[in-house]
Amino acid sequence: MLPATKKPNLVSVTTINSDGSRFFPHPSDVKGRFTIARRLAGVLLIAIYVLLPWIPINGHPAVLLDVTHGRFHLFGFTFLVQDVWLLFFLISGVGFGLFYITSLLGRIWCGWACPYTVFLDHVFRRIERWIEGDAPARRQLDAAPWGPVKFAKRGLKHFLFLTCALGIAHVGLSYFIPLPQLYAWMRESPANHLTVFTGVMVYAGLLYFCFAWFREQFCIVLCPYGRLQSALIDDDSMVIGYDYGRGEPRGKVTESGHGDCIDCRRCVQVCPTSIDIRNGLQMECIGCAACIDACDDIMDKVKRPRGLIRYDSHKGLSGQKRTIIRPRIILYTALMLLGATVLTWGLTQVHGFEMSLVRLRGMPYLADPGHIRNQFTLRLLSKDDEPTTFTVSTENAPPGLTLSGLHDTLTVPASGELQQTLMLSLERPQYAGPFKFIIKATPSGGGQPLTREVEFLGPDL
Amino acid sequence: MSDPYEPSNPVRNPSGDEPVLRPHVFDGIQEYDQKLPNWWLMTFYFAILWFVLYWTLYYQAGFFSSDHDRVTGQLQAIQQTKNKELEAMLATLDDKLLWTWSKDESVKAEGLAIYTRVCSACHAADLSAKLGGAPLPGLPLHDAEWKYGNHPMDVFRIVSKGSPDKAAPVQMPPWESVLSPSDIAKVSAYVMSFHQPSAP
Repeated sequence: MLPATKKPNLVSVTTINSDGSRFFPHPSDVKGRFTIARRLAGVLLIAIYVLLPWIPINGHPAVLLDVTHGRFHLFGFTFLVQDVWLLFFLISGVGFGLFYITSLLGRIWCGWACPYTVFLDHVFRRIERWIEGDAPARRQLDAAPWGPVKFAKRGLKHFLFLTCALGIAHVGLSYFIPLPQLYAWMRESPANHLTVFTGVMVYAGLLYFCFAWFREQFCIVLCPYGRLQSALIDDDSMVIGYDYGRGEPRGKVTESGHGDCIDCRRCVQVCPTSIDIRNGLQMECIGCAACIDACDDIMDKVKRPRGLIRYDSHKGLSGQKRTIIRPRIILYTALMLLGATVLTWGLTQVHGFEMSLVRLRGMPYLADPGHIRNQFTLRLLSKDDEPTTFTVSTENAPPGLTLSGLHDTLTVPASGELQQTLMLSLERPQYAGPFKFIIKATPSGGGQPLTREVEFLGPDL
Repeated sequence: MSDPYEPSNPVRNPSGDEPVLRPHVFDGIQEYDQKLPNWWLMTFYFAILWFVLYWTLYYQAGFFSSDHDRVTGQLQAIQQTKNKELEAMLATLDDKLLWTWSKDESVKAEGLAIYTRVCSACHAADLSAKLGGAPLPGLPLHDAEWKYGNHPMDVFRIVSKGSPDKAAPVQMPPWESVLSPSDIAKVSAYVMSFHQPSAP
């Protein structure tokens, strides 16, 4: 028989029993300022997640990654597949931003903003608390033999878990498929959209598995960001820690000659990953601050100052001088700003229209006795929702260079493209070797003209 | 300064649940005898099962085709569709039909759009193959002189396959990879609308 409660230690993971089986922790209820603030942050983040596909910006949802058509709408910007190079700077910028936050504030992301924690703590654990009761009641239900009550409670819980998982998965899908279309699909037979249906069911199944069973194992074993912590945190990073000097030696409230810790084990009971924070910073800690609220509550009751467990750096906890500006902070700031700067510059390079010019395949130039000619295929691409008219002209071209194939303006259909053959001719006597010039397409609406430099080629003189 | 390899608050809390320490020591390093989580072990078993199934179904039984086969198959299907389209077009298309089309305003309008986009660079908008008096590389199409045949189907073939004279320094490229058979038929009809069946 495995124990219903365990005493955490530093050398093994509490949630894995010595025979390799799972130990399911049942964290006790906790009240306090950080719990309230985290709940508010969680509700806000869930609201943002659900609402983003509903908010239209510039005629498209705030986030719509239209994979089928290769059009990605993000907060009013429209990107095409060829703009994907920007992702490098977005990801590196966000990556170094996370490095920066971590070295400064520790696992603040894990406890407050990570979607996994947000859904687990503010949706799934709340449902479990509501149906199965507080920690002792849940432990009792675990140990109870299967009967009608246990069956009903477990059934209802897993039904609600599945419902929530399906909801989260469908909101996720609405980031890729516009809402009206998704709603129409949802009322049709799954066989009509089998790939998408299978995808969303697998996604919902994974969410259900993670939040109903896998839980903290993901944060402890799988999450790559969690595994990077030891490289990102130093003794000056803000973490959640126990003031060893003030708390030890532990003893009863009524006796004197002890530290402030009364060894009530509240901090262990409320921990969602079942560690004892008094053992120091451990890899299992996701920075949820439940132990801070639990300890502050006890300190208030025994009329001792709060903050025996608190947000502080290792140096701060051991009574040394705290430092904020360190070499790694300067480095991460520089790298984060580099990513952000290049991304901002990159965004200015993304326009509503794209132009490309391709020389006729296999024939760099055409030469007859009187003329030298270069043929190009002009391709104009529009991300606009309206048809756009372009006027094409040459710039920096020598006199005598004529452009044929264009007799009028070119009209590119809405969100479409157009190909046009261009022929450039120069009379032989005027040709004095290859030269570069510019082909310019000016949209009629008065937008930024598109330019491309091309080279006029001819035979050796 | 404290030992940098120890946590700042080196509190050890040994309890009965600690794992067994193995007796061997290397360079002062010892190891605990810890079990892998069972779910983790399951992922290994699953990987073995996956390998067997994958190897059997994919490489031995041939239940699934490789990406290369799939892409080649799709490309072939596209080419077949194109060939069928061309065959169907050629089966119905003859000089008579193209002459009829050359009088049809809607076909002419579609033909004009294709002509302006693709052909006018070399043959000029008015089919004269001259721009402002200077000759363009194409042959004039509005006069009675035909170098490679005066029937509508000759025009259709030249647009599809390019100039028959493969030795000429300047020659028309084939357009069958760019334009569909029906587009080529329409643009041929547009060119023939400048001519009469009796006196081409």
